[in-house]
Amino acid sequence: MTQTLTILGLESSCDDTAAAVVRQTTGEAAEILSSVVVGQVDLHASFGGVVPEIAARAHAEKIDLCVEQALQKAALTLADIDAIAVTSGPGLIGGVLSGVMCAKGLSAGSGKPLIGVNHLAGHALTPRLTDGAAFPYLMLLVSGGHCQFLIAKGVDDFTRLGGTIDDAPGEAFDKTAKLLGLPQPGGPAVEAEARNGDAKRFPLPRPLLDRPGCDMSFSGLKTALLRTRDKLVAEHGGLRQQDRADLCASFQTAVSDVLAEKTRRALALYQELNPAQPTLAVAGGVAANQQLRAVLETVCAENNVTFTAPPLALCTDNAAMIAWAGLEQFRAGHRDDLTLSARPRWPLDQTSPAMLGSGKKGAKA
Amino acid sequence: MAKGQAERLFPLLEEVLAKAGKTWGDLTAIGVGTGPGNFTGIRISVSAARGLALSLGIPAVGVSSFEALAINHPRPILSLIDARREQVFAQELTANGAHDPFMATKDTLPDMPTIGPFDTVDPVAIARITATRFDDPGLPRPAPLYVRAPDAAPPRDPAPVILP
Repeated sequence: MTQTLTILGLESSCDDTAAAVVRQTTGEAAEILSSVVVGQVDLHASFGGVVPEIAARAHAEKIDLCVEQALQKAALTLADIDAIAVTSGPGLIGGVLSGVMCAKGLSAGSGKPLIGVNHLAGHALTPRLTDGAAFPYLMLLVSGGHCQFLIAKGVDDFTRLGGTIDDAPGEAFDKTAKLLGLPQPGGPAVEAEARNGDAKRFPLPRPLLDRPGCDMSFSGLKTALLRTRDKLVAEHGGLRQQDRADLCASFQTAVSDVLAEKTRRALALYQELNPAQPTLAVAGGVAANQQLRAVLETVCAENNVTFTAPPLALCTDNAAMIAWAGLEQFRAGHRDDLTLSARPRWPLDQTSPAMLGSGKKGAKA
Repeated sequence: MAKGQAERLFPLLEEVLAKAGKTWGDLTAIGVGTGPGNFTGIRISVSAARGLALSLGIPAVGVSSFEALAINHPRPILSLIDARREQVFAQELTANGAHDPFMATKDTLPDMPTIGPFDTVDPVAIARITATRFDDPGLPRPAPLYVRAPDAAPPRDPAPVILP
């Protein structure tokens, strides 16, 4: 049956407040009618990281404005919308709550159905929004808050092959920038600096490469970088620009090496499924890193797997991916009611065991 | 309630409407308590009110706990809300406005008539105050009234000196 669906999406799980409208007719390519993202980089800059309470305060006063703008840009009203999709976890709970409560208000007042979407499903289903990727595909989600390999088998069916047991790579990039006196967000700053650096100069560790499986760790790498920096500062009375560039290059190459090797292992597991169109998709802000992209493309070429990366605006946090995931799940019959909960922890894969470092309450994501 | 407000709020609102024999479409405006109080709690209600205002096409009006508490009292008055940790949130309400709210311990308050400290507010007071103000065209959207600054400290370790 052909059906055109128009879905409003809301996202507020970290430090971006976003709303978007996505439309799709069965069997056709999806269309992003609008996508509004309001960031908070300035609010958190002086703290060297996202402060949950500051983020929550901003979301509560911005989310409805983003919705208004998204509807306006799409030249639609709520009456034209088929359902309202909202990130209901995992993430910083204060922000998630603001999004969920605003969405409930929109749903109650308009009578439109409500769909709670897993933030990670938003990222993981984006390759279908942008490229119409066919299940099953392998997903590497690599951002400031997350790092995991998922096999996407269906709109609600994901298998986690492994992930970070401590920091996410994006967080490691931010901390590296902070330790080296570079501006936030750290990813682009470290990458720019690394272009003038010698990646072989400092032997930084490649954590967990000596262990089987797809789990990763980036916390020790950050500590090794700090030790090396301290040694250089003690030696020279400060950090010389060339040393900084070499540190950035060495760090970025260590991250790329780890992700490349773990991707090889994840691809081997994925290819056991004999996918018709073998595909690796990346998402998350770190997927914007050119060196990382280049090594992942090489790994894919070696394995005859198609590499796909959504445009940057759809790699980082946005609400179009939430509207899209909501659209796919709405088609699959998924609905929530006004008792929908906001969840700080919500692993996409509910069956794989929680990873090391997840704490007593089990897997976070 | 300490937990479950996000899940409970909308079913509760629908029960209240049903008891009054009304539906969402019958509402002229939505009043919402903006605190001060539990940060998460006031964000839950403010976000919900703003979402409802948008979908119903009616104004949402923020009413502080200070005003709601003092609704039936002559002004000037110092309105007090329990802030835990031996402290209170305080705001002096004047005949035609209010001074900036602040935090204080109970023994350092200015010498004037007070009400409170309480930690709950009557929603009927919020609705009554809303009725007096919803048609003001310059009305700002409701925003949480935190009074307490966010608990965040700048990083302790400074960036290294960069040499040429």
